[in-house]
Amino acid sequence: MKRVGVFICHCGSNIAGAVDCEKVAENAKSFPGVAFSTDYKYMCSEPGQELIKKAIKDHKLDRIVVASCSPRMHEPTFRRCLESGGLNAYLLEMANIREHCSWVHPDDKEKATWKATELVRMAVAKVLKNEPLQRSTIPITKRALVIGGGIAGIQAALDIANAGHIVDIVEKEPSIGGKMAQIDKTFPTLDCSACILTPKMVEAANHPNINLITYSEIENVEGYVGNFDVTIRKKARSVDMTLCTGCGTCMQKCPTKVPSEFEMLMTDRRAIYTPFPQAIPNKPVIDRKNCRYFTTGKCRVCEKICPTKAVDYTQEDELVTQRYGAIVVATGFDLFDHSVYGEYGYGKYKDVITGLHFERLINASGPTMGKIKRPSDGKVPKDVVFIKCVGSRDEAKGKAYCSKTCCMYTAKHATLVREKIKDSNVYVFYMDVRTPGKGYDEFYTRTTDQFGAKYIRGRVSKIYEKGDKLIVRGEDTLLGRPVEVEADMVVLATAMVAQPDAAKLAQMVGFSYDQDNFYTEAHPKLAPVETHTAGVFLAGACQGPKDIPESVAQASAAAAKACGLLSKEEMPTEPIVSCVNEAICAGCGMCVPVCPYKALDLKVIQERAHGKTITRKVATVNSGLCQGCGACTVACRSAALNLKHFTNEQILAEVDALCL
Amino acid sequence: MSVKEAQANWEPKILVFACNWCTYAGADLAGLSRLQYPPNVRVLRVPCSGRVNPQFVIRAFQRGIDGVLVAGCHPGDCHYVTGNYFTRRRYLLMQRLLQYVGVDPERFQARWISGSEGPKFQQVVKEITEQIRAMGPNRKLRDAQ
Amino acid sequence: MSDKVKKMQEIAREILEKGEAKVVIGWEKGTHWYLSPPAFIDKPEEVERLVWDDFCHNNLSKYLKDYVNHEGKVAIFVKGCDSRAFNRLLQDKQIERDKVILIGIPCHGLKDQDKAKELGENADIPKAKKCVECRYPNPLVYDYFIGEEKALDEVAAASEARDFSDVEAIETLSPDEKYEFWNKQYERCLRCYACRNVCPACSCRECIFDQTRVGWIGKANNASENQFFALTRAMHVAGLCIECGECERVCPMNIPIMLLNKKLIKDINLLFGPYDAGVDVDGKLPLGHFDKNDPEEFM
Ligand SMILES: Cc1cc2nc3c(=O)[nH]c(=O)nc-3n(C[C@H](O)[C@H](O)[C@H](O)COP(=O)(O)OP(=O)(O)OC[C@H]3O[C@@H](n4cnc5c(N)ncnc54)[C@H](O)[C@@H]3O)c2cc1C
Ligand code: SF4
Ligand code: SF4
Ligand code: SF4
Ligand code: SF4
Ligand code: SF4
Ligand code: FES
Repeated sequence: MKRVGVFICHCGSNIAGAVDCEKVAENAKSFPGVAFSTDYKYMCSEPGQELIKKAIKDHKLDRIVVASCSPRMHEPTFRRCLESGGLNAYLLEMANIREHCSWVHPDDKEKATWKATELVRMAVAKVLKNEPLQRSTIPITKRALVIGGGIAGIQAALDIANAGHIVDIVEKEPSIGGKMAQIDKTFPTLDCSACILTPKMVEAANHPNINLITYSEIENVEGYVGNFDVTIRKKARSVDMTLCTGCGTCMQKCPTKVPSEFEMLMTDRRAIYTPFPQAIPNKPVIDRKNCRYFTTGKCRVCEKICPTKAVDYTQEDELVTQRYGAIVVATGFDLFDHSVYGEYGYGKYKDVITGLHFERLINASGPTMGKIKRPSDGKVPKDVVFIKCVGSRDEAKGKAYCSKTCCMYTAKHATLVREKIKDSNVYVFYMDVRTPGKGYDEFYTRTTDQFGAKYIRGRVSKIYEKGDKLIVRGEDTLLGRPVEVEADMVVLATAMVAQPDAAKLAQMVGFSYDQDNFYTEAHPKLAPVETHTAGVFLAGACQGPKDIPESVAQASAAAAKACGLLSKEEMPTEPIVSCVNEAICAGCGMCVPVCPYKALDLKVIQERAHGKTITRKVATVNSGLCQGCGACTVACRSAALNLKHFTNEQILAEVDALCL
Repeated sequence: MSVKEAQANWEPKILVFACNWCTYAGADLAGLSRLQYPPNVRVLRVPCSGRVNPQFVIRAFQRGIDGVLVAGCHPGDCHYVTGNYFTRRRYLLMQRLLQYVGVDPERFQARWISGSEGPKFQQVVKEITEQIRAMGPNRKLRDAQ
Repeated sequence: MSDKVKKMQEIAREILEKGEAKVVIGWEKGTHWYLSPPAFIDKPEEVERLVWDDFCHNNLSKYLKDYVNHEGKVAIFVKGCDSRAFNRLLQDKQIERDKVILIGIPCHGLKDQDKAKELGENADIPKAKKCVECRYPNPLVYDYFIGEEKALDEVAAASEARDFSDVEAIETLSPDEKYEFWNKQYERCLRCYACRNVCPACSCRECIFDQTRVGWIGKANNASENQFFALTRAMHVAGLCIECGECERVCPMNIPIMLLNKKLIKDINLLFGPYDAGVDVDGKLPLGHFDKNDPEEFM
């Protein structure tokens, strides 16, 4: 026989003022299963809790109903009370007779008492079907994974490492650094990007807690918070990292020239290469697609020349699996492909370049040694046109959103042109100038007032080549008249867009992304660096367009969240999860797609039937991933799935008790 | 009590399936703000509106409930991200099916009520109670017992 | 004997003789001229039992569930609707494609067996309602094919003819009239579960109506419990029902079950866009996914 104890709280006069608590306690005595029922002034107080504990002992109660305030308020309190009284915490049910009764029905004591009685009856009916549940804990692997080694990834890794945890950075390129490594100077202070980035790269490389896993990609992710099992594909570098000293001899002697991605294809690298001189790690990889040996079977120059015999053509991709407690995703952004715009020449005019090309053109270690020369004929341009919002804020052909950084970097570019080419003219076509941020608007004002860049409000309708000039036609919407500029070079501020493989990675790790494939934060205001997947955090431009200060701030925030997780030995798990009755489950899989946390899967089981061993499929719940929403229980028609603590039986019992 | 008396004393009973994170919190807020509504409403707490099996709703009608409201977070705000999108699909169909077999539309309703919408909770349950009081006790789908 | 029947028997014989399958499931003539019950043939010499006529109603696909743990393959004949049923079961992972040999047979539209019984053998017996409305007379999947596909314009005509006027007629009744109508119908239900057992959308191992320990439903055979059964079954096959009409055909009490199924089909198409169950095996189920822009009525 189950023995329920019912405890009705007065909450001072908060409840007792509108509900006849003694009467409710008296009524409850007649409910099936109730062995003891009483009322008290403050159930949550020390004496109130003592009363419950004593009654558990004296009356051999094995489950408890407390009728008081909202369970959202005091459920944890009374659960603890049950535990210290020797009962399982989940043998408690609460009837909310304050927020849902006395406070909303202050003037009709009879009806409020009737309602309170019924709420208690519902709770009693439910608690009779409660099962003791065990909170378990999952161990937390004290190792973090950072995916992407741009500034955001580097910062997050440094912060986590400095807090004392091991961090692996997986970067798909041969070097860490990301886009910031390509940028020349940074707004609004115009300090050199490499000068502030390189020390961070070096710090990361030398940090005892950080492992750089470059030229590598994520192959597979399994598991859940605290225990992600991640398979990493280390692409074959064809250079033995332990032997190579980074002397670079091979790169000088390699006969194969390949346009350099880092230099935006404006100059060449070799087939054995590091993307840029300050690369970290500063050890080359062989680009097998272009290497003469790999394409024709003849060459092996680098192997011969290497003083340490580090070159190894037989290397193969290596798959390693590592367990992590937390993951920070910092895969950054890509740039919009402006060749969809016929009016800008479909990407065919050599001297119509993007902002990132421009960064390389003014960079002292870039293809032109920092002298601004236009790509077509190497001439120093005198008239330079900048066009903003290329692909941004254009729902028809580009993206609906604002890319946020272009206003500032275009102002930066305009300033730099005026600084480096004294007799130049700079024109900036814009839709709006958006410069919120510390020192940003001042910077923009200097660009126009001090450096004399001419800002023209309006869209460019056409660019065409005329001789060695580019004719830029547009409209000045402020003056309401057409404008035409003869330019030597045009720089497009192309939109920041998600990485091409962004969706694939999100699916692999198991978190969501928006219509533009930027990663979705758990809450736009209150959880901006978390994802909906516990243990996975976001940093930098992979979540949406961001400049460096924002990326760094978000990276530190994500690191703090990851550290919070890694600082614990283990994590308690809610036992309110879904479970499968394998005897009933037909293995139809209808439950699988409704789970928001990918907690459900089908597995094959063996069983004996009619004297034979047969195999069949059944659903299985990963209780580390399940958050207990219960959506699957409704998707399962045969009720093979049930949600603990909110079982079908419990809810039906509540419904029945209420309708009595 | 005679049958007549019982009928005269009839009070409608309305069951609200409320998700823990939004509608239940909204009902708590109505309480905290002392917003009054008829005492005919009973809230049954479920983790998410997606947990509400249509069979629970039919069961309530069988056992003699006068009205049922299924309520949860607004689309996009579900604590479990997508739960209420499934709720919406399921109950768009269920609502039409119930009407098709003769259940009056007022008797079964669904609403999105957020944790900050105490006043909305009050207003919705008030409205439903009034509608149902005007219609009288529900006899459809009801068990003989 | 028609060419089609000859061909049927030939293929069946070949399959059995070569040992490609252990058993061939088709139709045969039983005791009544207006019934062609299923035939389970495992010997080549018995293939002569197989028939194809106006009464081969039984949807054979569901029998495949009985063979899942058997070794070797099973061959079955599939009409258009049977092939949708096959796809359904495949979608529910209840059967394996490579354990079945499908012999497709385009359907000319079968005759109403109740009317046949009533009118007698020599009368002009009308087509079964589901067949008048059928939009997939040609099998959607098969390994062998018998005869010629039904012309597409004929299929298109059927698809235009598809009407929900029977559903709409009920929709226009008042709530009380509707309730009266359905109450009359389900009052008669015996809860024999024949409708469920035959249904290719009901693929459960243990139906909730057999789960007495949970108490979804009482044993009592009263109108209320019967309605619970009717509504729940209808919701359970929502988005899965392939309109084979078998449930209604096998119901001993002639309850118009299709009127419930068709209501849900109508609403699913209206609310969530065109959808035909059992056509695309890899597609998403209407209640297995959602669209953020689904109609919003619960504000
Ligand atoms: C032309 C231009 C000029 C700019 N100038 C400025 C400026 O002056 N000041 C300023 O504050 N901001 C500037 N920005 C913005 C700045 O570039 C970004 O804020 C910053 O780079 C974002 O850093 P991140 O680490 O998030 O992304 P990224 O720099 O894009 O780094 C992402 C890294 O992740 C790696 N990666 C991607 N996918 C994977 C994967 N699947 N697996 C492993 N690794 C992966 C990439 O290879 C890359 O190394 C400018 C941007 C542009 C386009
Ligand atoms: S209860 Fe929710 S989270 Fe858990 S398995 Fe089911 S659908 Fe997934
Ligand atoms: S738990 Fe239910 S829905 Fe999931 S596979 Fe099993 S029977 Fe199908
Ligand atoms: S076949 Fe007819 S009588 Fe039998 S359970 Fe189904 S509806 Fe009821
Ligand atoms: S519900 Fe009826 S018509 Fe629909 S698939 Fe099942 S048996 Fe066929
Ligand atoms: S009625 Fe529902 S539970 Fe029963 S077999 Fe059909 S789908 Fe499964
Ligand atoms: S948690 Fe409120 S609807 Fe899902």
